Amino acid sequence: MSFRKASILPGFGLTFGFTTFFLSVIVLLPLAALTLAAASMHWSDFVHVVLSPRALGSYRLSFGASFLAAAINLVFGLIIAWTLVRYEFPARKLIDALIDMPFALPTAVSGIALTTVFAHNGWIGRFLEPWGVRIAYTWLGVTLALTLITMPFVVRAVQPALLEVQRDLEDAAETLGAGRIYVARRIILPTVLPSLLTGFTLAFARALGEYGSVIFIAGNLPMKTEITPLLIVIHLEEFDYQGAAALGVVMLVISFVVLFAINLLQAWGRRQQVRAAH
Amino acid sequence: MSITLDQVTKHYGGVPVVNDVSLDIGDGEFFVLLGPSGSGKSTLLRAIAGLTGVDHGRIALHGRDVTHVAARKRGVGLVFQNYALFRHMTVAENIEFALRVRHVRARERSRRRQELLRLVALEGLDQRLPAQLSGGQQQRVAVARALAHKPEVLLLDEPFGALDAKIREELRRTIRQVQRELGITTVLVTHDQEEAFAMADRIGIMNHGRLLEMGAPHDLYSRPATRFVATFLGAANLLLARRTPDGIQMGVSTVAAAERSPDLGEHEVVAVVRPEEVELAASRDALKSGYLARGVVDEVMFSGALESLRVRLANGAQAPLLAHANGAAGASLQVTRTQPEQRGFEVRPGQEVAIGVRRVHVLPTPLSSFTACAVSAALAEALSRQPLLAELAARMHTRIAPRVEPHLGVPDAPSATDEPSVGATAIAGGSDCSRRAEWLLRRGAREVLVLPEQPAVPQRVLIHWMGDASRSATLAVSASVLRHVAAEAVYVSIFPEERAGEQRHGLRELLDARSEAQLAHGLEMRTELRFGDVASELARRLAEAPAQMLIVGLSDLAGFAASFRVLLETGQWPVLIVYRASP
Repeated sequence: MSFRKASILPGFGLTFGFTTFFLSVIVLLPLAALTLAAASMHWSDFVHVVLSPRALGSYRLSFGASFLAAAINLVFGLIIAWTLVRYEFPARKLIDALIDMPFALPTAVSGIALTTVFAHNGWIGRFLEPWGVRIAYTWLGVTLALTLITMPFVVRAVQPALLEVQRDLEDAAETLGAGRIYVARRIILPTVLPSLLTGFTLAFARALGEYGSVIFIAGNLPMKTEITPLLIVIHLEEFDYQGAAALGVVMLVISFVVLFAINLLQAWGRRQQVRAAH
Repeated sequence: MSITLDQVTKHYGGVPVVNDVSLDIGDGEFFVLLGPSGSGKSTLLRAIAGLTGVDHGRIALHGRDVTHVAARKRGVGLVFQNYALFRHMTVAENIEFALRVRHVRARERSRRRQELLRLVALEGLDQRLPAQLSGGQQQRVAVARALAHKPEVLLLDEPFGALDAKIREELRRTIRQVQRELGITTVLVTHDQEEAFAMADRIGIMNHGRLLEMGAPHDLYSRPATRFVATFLGAANLLLARRTPDGIQMGVSTVAAAERSPDLGEHEVVAVVRPEEVELAASRDALKSGYLARGVVDEVMFSGALESLRVRLANGAQAPLLAHANGAAGASLQVTRTQPEQRGFEVRPGQEVAIGVRRVHVLPTPLSSFTACAVSAALAEALSRQPLLAELAARMHTRIAPRVEPHLGVPDAPSATDEPSVGATAIAGGSDCSRRAEWLLRRGAREVLVLPEQPAVPQRVLIHWMGDASRSATLAVSASVLRHVAAEAVYVSIFPEERAGEQRHGLRELLDARSEAQLAHGLEMRTELRFGDVASELARRLAEAPAQMLIVGLSDLAGFAASFRVLLETGQWPVLIVYRASP
């Protein structure tokens, strides 16, 4: 296989060199160190750590809540992006700037703020309490925190794609007899689907790694509201570096598999389109 | 009629982008809406398609009122400049879109698709994606897609804008062929006059939201009625001339007009000389056509079949004035010459030539130019730089001549010069302007424009006349003004309080005025009926909203200054007075 075949643009060697160099130093090397640390464990110790009921519970919460948060943002992020792109209203620029706030805020601050609002005596929590709904210190709180933290990803990924949907396309569809819902389903959605998936992937990946905001609102009950990153920190605090590395490797592998699967799905979608052409 | 528009108006942010457009397009007609960008032609097309609502007026397709019908139920096909193909669908899916929406069965869909692909000469490309086609092919697909549901009307919005010259020509021919084959009523929007000529049965020309003129391409080209159409449709030299009983006098020479005019009075007119109607020769005697002036060749440009030149007219009072370039020295005439003409008399830049004119067309516009009149040269100069006056003159491609009248407004004082008033005379507003206006009108001025210090470009023009003698002239002047400003026209009819009972009579007068404006001057206007004293009712109406202008017709000057003093001297609105004495 020749590397040079891909493009006739000059400079491939140089840029590819830089790409591998930076990836190695910043991403691959630390990951390798992590794997190495875990590999120095005895196999039965490794299994014991990563398959302990406490660890399994934390995986379930981490992946479940992250997936749910990303899914919620998929829907509401699309709606927010649509509103920001399509409508003119007084505070549009302001709201547009607010979208990025979860990025800028230290995540711990977000967690504390959410806890204040949703605790059983908080502004919103006190109204939910009589209905038997508890958000703070349950898995709902974890999902809520992750939703807040990852909200910008979907909005920012979809916004440019929505901007690109030409109004002419909708107008054309309308003159051809299509109703509003038909246009949204057959014209707009297919156009923004790839960036919607990208936004979902980013949000999901970010949610998996989130730590700061979750620990304040989660309550951190082992087996119930304890996320994997927290479990790793607990191992670290007990100077159990190997245990921490083992959990880290598991997260690494599962995340990689999930992200890779989503990427494959996107590539498959693109291929479907191209195949329709021949 | 396939498409009927009745007083269609659309505002964006208070500015009318489509302004009182009325239009009938016949069955199977190929109609071209031509205008510069921002003239409202695309908005009008979108209004016909139903993609833009209208604020006022009615749209009917094949006799069915569709003003409030959604685009998807109007049965029109629309083609966009940027093709607007669905990029994630194949050519086949694109073309079948309208049929799929209508739940047409697969076999029928594919039969129709084959038929359409043959029509636009794209057989066999069914399974391609738009991105795999050239621009010309994509636009063909867009045409086929727009025709799939057998619309009654095909609308094309600058469909060739994104294509290069050769493809453009090919596609033009295809579209014209398809249109003839199907006999479908078609409206094409373009800013390209060559395209309009090549395709249209009839052309409608838009500017500032108004439909200025329409007609067969040849008629519009040879006999434009407005300076905008004259200069937009092909190149034109506009000259200020005088109409005399002998013909059209331009500087020293008099040329016969191309057509006779019923108006026999001697006055300033705007003459149109097409570049190809100009003849160049070494001397006055060598000219085969009427002599115009001497000039110096400024520039010669070879462009294939034709040679285009700019010829600067010799300085001096004898030379005819060009209506644009503010009559300044250095104004030059556009000339085009064919190969045989070039062989007959070769010219180089810098050469002195005699200029002849083969054909002159006189515009029927009553507003030829402006005169800025004040008591001193400095004040006249300042007035001619007044923003609204300068703006109007620029938009009308005309000049502002200064005129000094030291005794302006002094009763019984004579005019400073013997020269007659030329064009519309502008004076500054403020104290004493009503007496000054009357003074000028009594000394031969036919139109006087009173300009307050800081008037805005008007968004609404109120029209009123007193006495039938001035009606026709007022309408003509109003039409001329309204062609150059994007304003809505409102005819205000005012009856004395004590005659309030005769409302029916008043309504008939309103309708008569409206139809005369429409028929004789192509001016669409709204109408209002009011009761009370004329001057104070008009003043009250003017004070209701900012950016209004008044055009008022007079046939009797008695008591004018007294009754209009308040309206003229206190308001921040420009007032144009049109005076035609009762016979």
